[in-house]
Amino acid sequence: MAQRTVAVASASGLHARPAKLFVQEAARLGVPVTVRLGDKAVPARSMLGVLSLGAVQGTEVTLEADGPGAEEALDALAALLSRDLDADAEPGGNSGAKSGAEEALDA
Amino acid sequence: MREDLLDPRAVLLHERAPDREAAIRRCGRALVEVGAVAEPYVAAMLERERSISTYVGEGVAIPHGTNASKDDILRDALCFIRFPDGVDWDGERVTVCVGIAAREGGHVPLLAALAEILMDPDRARTLREATEVAQVMKELTL
Repeated sequence: MAQRTVAVASASGLHARPAKLFVQEAARLGVPVTVRLGDKAVPARSMLGVLSLGAVQGTEVTLEADGPGAEEALDALAALLSRDLDADAEPGGNSGAKSGAEEALDA
Repeated sequence: MREDLLDPRAVLLHERAPDREAAIRRCGRALVEVGAVAEPYVAAMLERERSISTYVGEGVAIPHGTNASKDDILRDALCFIRFPDGVDWDGERVTVCVGIAAREGGHVPLLAALAEILMDPDRARTLREATEVAQVMKELTL
């Protein structure tokens, strides 16, 4: 079993945009990954599962996977979690400005 | 989930909405009517939805405002609006909207509790098919 433990970097924690990007990436990678927090373990590709963890900024979660492609998938997902995904504004002026304001309020 | 979050007057089981925007406006109005949010929060819910879909699975979407709209929240609250005919939600079919208003620090634990309930397929189905307010109150507060 390959594992990575990583602290959630996104200002708003693991919900909304960061959760969506994480779940989408997990689905795209096609390797079953489990996210563990305390005694809870949920599939990385389940939005409800990921939301149910209630992870905020700084919360450490452990990613686990087995078999071919496990290491690469864990590296990709761990890298995603260690970035502030709230700061990755969408292209376009208005949404960029809004994201900036949201980020400031979150901080 | 805390019992004071869901006012039974904010549980509406037989609504119709032609599209996602109308459904979100309906949620916003329910939160305004129980005194949980000020009017501008509704526009913030629409803005949030444009930036990212609040669909979470199991036919459920969870519209809520942007972080910048937290000042328009008068108290933490939920609304539960059922659209039996369904609403097209960016390609997904939504039959239940759980509108959320939660201030700093309250949003993530509230979402986690809600997600936990919806992860139970039986409870999710009961909520999707609820015909009585009491059913919804029971599932969402116990």
